[in-house]
Amino acid sequence: MGLMDRVAMPQPVKFILNWGRKYSLWVMNFGLACCAIELIATSTSVHDFIRLGVIPFAHGPRQADLLVVAGTLTDKMAPALKRVYDQIPDPKYVISFGSCSNCGGPYWDSYSVTKGVDQIVPVDVYVPGCPPRPEALLHGIIKLQEKIGKEDIREKWSGKLTQPAVTT
Amino acid sequence: MASSRSPLSPPDIGERIRAQFGSDVKSVDEVFGHAVAKVDPGRYREIASFLRDEPDLDFNFFDFLTAVDFRPKGGGFEVVTQVYSTRHNHSARLKVECDADDPRCPTLEDVWPGANWCEREAWELFGIVFEGHPHLVKLVLPEQFEGFPLRKDFPLMTREVKPWPGEAEGVEE
Repeated sequence: MGLMDRVAMPQPVKFILNWGRKYSLWVMNFGLACCAIELIATSTSVHDFIRLGVIPFAHGPRQADLLVVAGTLTDKMAPALKRVYDQIPDPKYVISFGSCSNCGGPYWDSYSVTKGVDQIVPVDVYVPGCPPRPEALLHGIIKLQEKIGKEDIREKWSGKLTQPAVTT
Repeated sequence: MASSRSPLSPPDIGERIRAQFGSDVKSVDEVFGHAVAKVDPGRYREIASFLRDEPDLDFNFFDFLTAVDFRPKGGGFEVVTQVYSTRHNHSARLKVECDADDPRCPTLEDVWPGANWCEREAWELFGIVFEGHPHLVKLVLPEQFEGFPLRKDFPLMTREVKPWPGEAEGVEE
């Protein structure tokens, strides 16, 4: 990314840049199960996450900044999630929404369910619940924005953070 | 009149099947308002065609097909087929037993095309081979999946760590 990679950002510039980025998150809807309904409810007028700067919904992964995985990820679907994640341009963020995508949830002993999307993509914020209420997603988005606000953009763009955090 | 609706009671349906096929129908029961017939694998397809073609029965809709693993109780596999008549509003269930070690069952794909996917699913989940099926490949499981996950001996992590304690005392089936 040129100058940004080589020079440590002065704090005011870093603040302005992160402030701009955290309130403009185009969200990619990766709804897989009932949690997707809560995600969509969060986007509609009652809960309305546009007031937090989260814009529903990106037309495709190439226009998105934030991927919300909402629902049960199966082993068969996992390659599709990886592909969608890879298509999102950096810097990108992932929210794992609901018990199924966090850890398998009620399907934790199933033969077909991936126990945690963090095996496939790196997750920034986990929202627990089965399903979580829309308020929980709003809270998760605020936590993500706090994280973006403190972020060092050089580290984010270094590519080191795009690997799944889970160790085998 | 072709569209006239005259539902048969479950005992009547069982009686019709028994009258046509005699001792090849091992048992006829009524379970929760459905006629259930255990039939001989050799005449399974014939009985299915009879159910479809007989005007009084007219089972024109294939409802579902699944299987049960009775091996822990000393049996084999059982293929369960439910069919329904949209004209008469009655239904029937066929059960056919398969071998425990090499489960095989005739296909109903040419009788009701709706059986195609159900049989593929039963094949991949239970390992029952449907003889004569035109396209027996995996339907819902990933292609590289190994094993038959709905068999009772398919390993699941919790049961490896701690076996199922069994039914609580005093609880009958």
